[in-house]
Amino acid sequence: MSTVKMTVQIGTLTMRNPVTTGSGTFGFGSETKDLVPLDRLGAVTVKATTRDPRLGNPPQRIAETASGILNAIGLQNGGIDDYLTNKAPYLRDFDCPIIVNVPGENPDDFAYVVERLTAAGAADAVELNISCPNVSHGLDYATDPQLAASVVAAVRNVTKMPVIAKLSPNVTDIRVIAKACEDAGADALSMINTVVGTAIDPRKRKFRLANITGGLSGPAIKPVALLAVWRCYNSVKIPIIGMGGIACPLDAIEFMLAGATAVACGTGNFVDPTLSLEVIDGIEQYCVENGFADVNALIGAVTAA
Amino acid sequence: MIKKEAAQVVSVTPLSAPRHFVLTMKSAHLASHSRPGHFIAVAADTGSAILRKPFSVYTVNPSAGEISILFSVYGPTTTAMSRMLPGDTIDVLGPLGGRVFNPEPVIGCHHILVGGGYGVPPLNYLAKSIRAVAPDTKVTVIIGARSANLLVGDDGLAAAGVDVIYCTDDGSTGVHGRVTDALLPLLQEDARVYTCGPTPMMKAVGELSEAHNVDCQVSLETFMPCGVGICVGCVVKKRDGVYSRTCTDGPVYPGCEVAW
Repeated sequence: MSTVKMTVQIGTLTMRNPVTTGSGTFGFGSETKDLVPLDRLGAVTVKATTRDPRLGNPPQRIAETASGILNAIGLQNGGIDDYLTNKAPYLRDFDCPIIVNVPGENPDDFAYVVERLTAAGAADAVELNISCPNVSHGLDYATDPQLAASVVAAVRNVTKMPVIAKLSPNVTDIRVIAKACEDAGADALSMINTVVGTAIDPRKRKFRLANITGGLSGPAIKPVALLAVWRCYNSVKIPIIGMGGIACPLDAIEFMLAGATAVACGTGNFVDPTLSLEVIDGIEQYCVENGFADVNALIGAVTAA
Repeated sequence: MIKKEAAQVVSVTPLSAPRHFVLTMKSAHLASHSRPGHFIAVAADTGSAILRKPFSVYTVNPSAGEISILFSVYGPTTTAMSRMLPGDTIDVLGPLGGRVFNPEPVIGCHHILVGGGYGVPPLNYLAKSIRAVAPDTKVTVIIGARSANLLVGDDGLAAAGVDVIYCTDDGSTGVHGRVTDALLPLLQEDARVYTCGPTPMMKAVGELSEAHNVDCQVSLETFMPCGVGICVGCVVKKRDGVYSRTCTDGPVYPGCEVAW
């Protein structure tokens, strides 16, 4: 056993290591129970949970592109009642903090779901999905600092849980949104959500996705995500959960060096559901090999070339 | 139980159908846990194509601890697979699938399996499984293809006492016509139908069976990015309006549940 201190802090949430899962890339934790013991994760971030059940978008929902995928799932989920009844009890059987991703069409929607989660004790932190590109009204909040702040403030009013705002890369300057969320009371930021794009099948002369647009994720977006993390790290004081294309432990190290306090494995879970475990072990090993006694020493430790 | 493993490749054998291969691998886990309708997801180091690709289990040899899959070369993953050599390792996740073929009760029925293209391999496995537990039970496999040289997946069926009917669009072998032409006269009271293949074929088989009040199980083939239920990308619309994940809610559905 190494003696590296692996715990990190996201507001009042203590993670036993800096690794969580990207919302929508790990279901509700039970799907991969044969492969991933949840109590090894720093936290589990579950699929988006909305006020009312959502059918999601028609297929085709995912298209594979160079070093990534485009998705337009459309937030298919059973709603907050389904989460509280059927998902949370399973998750609570593990010694693993739960981060619930919450989208909404207006600040009241966000506040309603967070209030229910708080009352039921069914989450340890909430991640505000103000940036899902696949549903109408979803993106708007993360592209306008005042709208983003209004959602954070509405949720801040109804919970003491750590509030994490998930930011979109589809903006001119992500630092402006980050600052607005911090000022409105967010405890942390997560970034980045997917990059909006599309794909066309030239043989059929049709869009590949039924929704036409989708969110690009996977290794293709890692450089975009890293820069967003580094810029925000230098602009706000609250911790950042970095994500976007992590496919191996060294990718996660890059995010921490850029300023992330924690990281999320996302699309990589589709390729290897055990990726998070590999990343946890790999971060610890990196610290041992490079003489870091505390993983927190990696945060923002990148220097000029 | 789903396991990720680096299985050892035993052989990669080209078939007479152009660009088609059978890959046999060593995996005691897959050999003992796979059932007809299960699939595995293969990851190959292919550069920019990152997702695993799903393949139905074709043959299982529990005593040797081996399974095989049948594939045609289509993209970078299957290209890499076609070039694998005995002794190489192949990164596999499986067995996958939440609902597989259910031939129970096996006795007293005429099991009719209708396949096309890569839909045939899992039916081959099912046909042999039924004959193995009930050697007197009548099993018919109808295999369709555009032309005789594209017929795949019939290995060992005749030896297992299975009736095989070939159908080709161009009449180059067997019935000159569609699989439904061969199926129709067999849809008697004791019939139970299982189908896997191109969606238009399964739709036709499912609807024909339903019209004759014959139970039909369809194994849907969709683009499955993760195979384990977490991406929610492989959905199919059911008649109740719900989008269902074919990887974990299927891949096998009662034909009457699918909104074709």
